[in-house]
Amino acid sequence: MTTQDTISTRRSMRPWLAAAMVATVTLLAPSFAQAQAASAAAQRETMNVGDEPGRISTEETIIRDGPYARQLVFFRSNEPPGTLVIHTSERFIYYVLGNNRALRYGIGVGREGFQWSGLVKVSRKAEWPDWTPPPEMITRQPYLPRFMAGGPGNPMGARAMYLGSTVYRIHGTNQPETIGQSISSGCFRLANGDVIDLFSRTNVGAKVIIRHSAQL
Amino acid sequence: MKHRVEKLACVAMALGLSACATVENLTPTAARAPASGSYETLPADRLIGKWGMASYREEKDRARTERIARQCRQPYVIAKGPTDGVMMHVADDSQQYELALKRARDGKTYLGFATPPGDPQDREIVSMTDKEMIMRFVDPDANTRYGTFIYVRC
Repeated sequence: MTTQDTISTRRSMRPWLAAAMVATVTLLAPSFAQAQAASAAAQRETMNVGDEPGRISTEETIIRDGPYARQLVFFRSNEPPGTLVIHTSERFIYYVLGNNRALRYGIGVGREGFQWSGLVKVSRKAEWPDWTPPPEMITRQPYLPRFMAGGPGNPMGARAMYLGSTVYRIHGTNQPETIGQSISSGCFRLANGDVIDLFSRTNVGAKVIIRHSAQL
Repeated sequence: MKHRVEKLACVAMALGLSACATVENLTPTAARAPASGSYETLPADRLIGKWGMASYREEKDRARTERIARQCRQPYVIAKGPTDGVMMHVADDSQQYELALKRARDGKTYLGFATPPGDPQDREIVSMTDKEMIMRFVDPDANTRYGTFIYVRC
């Protein structure tokens, strides 16, 4: 089964959703385990240079099959319900439900050197967030707009949850085939349908734990 | 090869436009109409320069998109072409081509190769002044993916 087989994509367009929902911005610095290996370049970037604006992935796109499909799993944790736990190496994000259960979603993570760990909180949520291509992407694809308001062709996807005061986000993608891969600049991406589901469950202020185990 | 830069044969001789002319005020210069059909080409010199470039899809986003374009971050540079067109990109192609301003019989203005106005690779000029241009791709797919472009002169 190819990666593409694990993805359900409907290309039908839906009317635009409501304007970006901006919650109170509370810039919460990590209280422990500061972000690691977040290079200066990553700090400047808002997205991965390999992203392809203009590709369409609608809000119906979800991962339906395979390990990266959204599923209820056993998850031993003392964290309160509503906490997000990201296992970078495993390419999973867990939404803690309590009673040692969690909803698990497949994610795409930062490429080598752009992976990090830490404890942050969701500082803001936005629907169909805007996108600013990084300079090196403009160099390679000079026809791109220097700013793209949110929408289906936007690499940020259908939803974004901003992580503390960092440049990193949990967001959707217009490239759902990259779920399970490590190609971003440190952000965590889900298929649009999955990020919409997670977005609906997650509150501003929710605790987010990012765990990263080095791979041999 | 879908690109037809080699076909470009636009003629734009008449200059001396008023500083704030809109698209509708441009003087047609199509003394030489391509064999494929009758349409007018318009002087494209007013496009030359550095522009802040941003895009939006919904009208509610237009004002803030315009504000961001006005910041001129990584400006888009439009240069004069070898003949009388301007060097610009088409959708999804990093190579520059010489493009011409063309006016269709229905009065709409397009920017693109030397093909009849409204070609799928054209941009439709929604509005144009010396300080700001608004365009969108004719191709519905490209238009959906990229939205409407605002260019603000830097």
